[in-house]
Amino acid sequence: MEFQIEVNNKHITVREGETLLAALRGHGIRIPTLCHMNRFSPTGACRLCAVEVEGKRDLVTSCSFPVEEGMKVKTNSRRVMQARKSLVELLLSNHPDDCLYCQRNGNCELQWLAEMMNVKERKYFGKKNTHYPDYSSTSVARDPAKCVLCSRCVRICEEVQLVTAIDFISRGNQTMVNSAFNKGLNISSCIHCGQCIQVCPTAALTDISHQEKVYAALDKKDVRVMFMISPSVAGSVAEAMGLKVKDQPMDIIAGALKRCGADKVFHLGVASDINISEEAGNLIAHIQNKENSLPLLSSCCPAWVRYVEEFRPEWITSLSKTKSPQQILSTLIKTQFAAEADIPMEQIFNVAVMPCVGKKYEASREENTHKGVSETDAVLTVRELLQLLRSSGIDIRNTEGEALDDPYVQSSAAAWKLGYSGGKAEAVARETYRMLGGKMDTFKFNTPKNIYGRKETKVTIGDHQIGFAWVSSISDAEEYMQQLLLDGRKDIHYVEVMACLNGCVGGGGQPVSRGFEQVIARKKLCAELEKNCAFQYPQDNPATAAFFKDNRFKPDQEITRNWIKTDFKERTVLK
Amino acid sequence: MSISLEDVFEKFPNRRREDMIPLLQAIQDKNGFLSEEMISSVGSYLRISVNKIYGVATFYDNFRFGPVGKYHIRLCHGTACHVAGAGTLLKELERILKISDGECDKQGIFSLEVVSCIGACGLAPLIEVNDMYHTNLNLQSLKELIKSLREKENSA
Repeated sequence: MEFQIEVNNKHITVREGETLLAALRGHGIRIPTLCHMNRFSPTGACRLCAVEVEGKRDLVTSCSFPVEEGMKVKTNSRRVMQARKSLVELLLSNHPDDCLYCQRNGNCELQWLAEMMNVKERKYFGKKNTHYPDYSSTSVARDPAKCVLCSRCVRICEEVQLVTAIDFISRGNQTMVNSAFNKGLNISSCIHCGQCIQVCPTAALTDISHQEKVYAALDKKDVRVMFMISPSVAGSVAEAMGLKVKDQPMDIIAGALKRCGADKVFHLGVASDINISEEAGNLIAHIQNKENSLPLLSSCCPAWVRYVEEFRPEWITSLSKTKSPQQILSTLIKTQFAAEADIPMEQIFNVAVMPCVGKKYEASREENTHKGVSETDAVLTVRELLQLLRSSGIDIRNTEGEALDDPYVQSSAAAWKLGYSGGKAEAVARETYRMLGGKMDTFKFNTPKNIYGRKETKVTIGDHQIGFAWVSSISDAEEYMQQLLLDGRKDIHYVEVMACLNGCVGGGGQPVSRGFEQVIARKKLCAELEKNCAFQYPQDNPATAAFFKDNRFKPDQEITRNWIKTDFKERTVLK
Repeated sequence: MSISLEDVFEKFPNRRREDMIPLLQAIQDKNGFLSEEMISSVGSYLRISVNKIYGVATFYDNFRFGPVGKYHIRLCHGTACHVAGAGTLLKELERILKISDGECDKQGIFSLEVVSCIGACGLAPLIEVNDMYHTNLNLQSLKELIKSLREKENSA
């Protein structure tokens, strides 16, 4: 039911059951918030969304206040503005004043709030806390001194990812967000998804930076730096910098990195193609093996893999043993390419550019290292890539594109799908269909339209039906898998899980504080860029074909193990 | 784990979320404090994240995370005791016991904890030693009390 309320002396139409905040924002009235998160129940903790409602003695928090017919609201009365300003001043009272040296300088919600409330002087002098930063993790860095205790990271970790690696510890002005027993993230149950970084309003949560490593490698004469660009990074950079599809963002990134001193810039999509072929081979074998009670679970997402290893060790055998694209290409560069180009392996420095902080962790996994040296020497997130280009004084909008380097020069359209939820399932479905001798013009893959939650579809090959499902976020994955087991369903054969909401386009390594619209924009760009590809299917990629044609390698063969196979094991952590 | 918690767990067969605080209290009563292992095992027993339990436990002053001495001294620092000189008593205790709030001495004999009002304001200032109240203290009587506890300990 719709009715009218009065806001700032103007009437607006609202829906019954809405919160006041949603109604106001729906009408373009800006209300500051800190603890509010879309899709989450309101907590009213930060109180920044306070508004004045006629007849109420106190200010009310609009995020947790339902609209009522005929209510009269003031969102910018002197009283409201003064209250909000005081709140921000109090938040600033014990905040370290090191904005100039902060990773989130210029991109910080606290800065924005202080500017918005017109805070021009220090009013309250709070005692600065002495919390120490935690750099123990391979992916996520914490600096609790910068924390404003908005609880967004705690909630996303607990409610969306079911991990609770971080929580509020202690009380009052001692409160801090910390891992169990204040022992550091490295032994906590953290799955390295980086969603906490995405929701953090300040620089209390950031990534473990690999930039210095990369700069150092670029400087060394006898080190040859190989960049690997994930297809979805092209979409993200295009979204962040306003590039068009016809500008060929992948080529522009390659051109820009060449100017920074990159020796080679490779297309990570080549490895995605190999990964898709191999996983399709795995899937066929998985279906034929009647002992498998669970569907094949995708293992591209390091955070999902880590979750299974920590919390669901009984599912480990169902995880696809195919290495992730990043690790496949790193291995290929250090072996195949090094041999062909006659470069000693030690001189190669592999840098993967990813939309993900979990990939930093993945690169450090034992299976992916030899004698302590990782196959992937450094992983840059999209944030770090943009920073690197800024620092190097490269204006990406005016950079000439350059073709990527042989032999990993281009990918099929399928590889571009890996960046968003449902894409990998579709790519694997196509490849499986093709491998089983289906005619591609009769291929049908129906995508349900809902934005959130579980999705599944069936692909018919001859008289067989193969069921594909995809979920993003661990809570959805867990719920889906439990339901699957409860119902004893046998019609789903492949489940794609991406730990970040909407998949890698919403990944932990993407530019922060950009909101849901940007996630969708990235996804659209990836889907558009896919059309630039010269060929549709992984097997048409000369690099993939060369890999598999080399008679040693056939999808899902024992011999491919050392190159593109990996393994998983149960992990004991503080969970 | 040195102490078995099975008998404590038996009292909470339903493994409900709301059992968390009573369970932690029961463990602390048995063991004197909560160790990391104990919090971990409560986590696996109740199927709640360890960090969540640690967060709840650190919220409440009543939970301790280090061992207590044979004589656990709780010094009341509520308003009435503060006015009656609890601050001076605290300084004196810290001086003669060589420990500060929340600590336990090396021999494991004395531990000190400063608490808010324990509800005996008419008898201020006072300390509680192992559930026994010693009231209307002054520096002299406090020293004598500690001395007598020391002697008792030495002769034992």
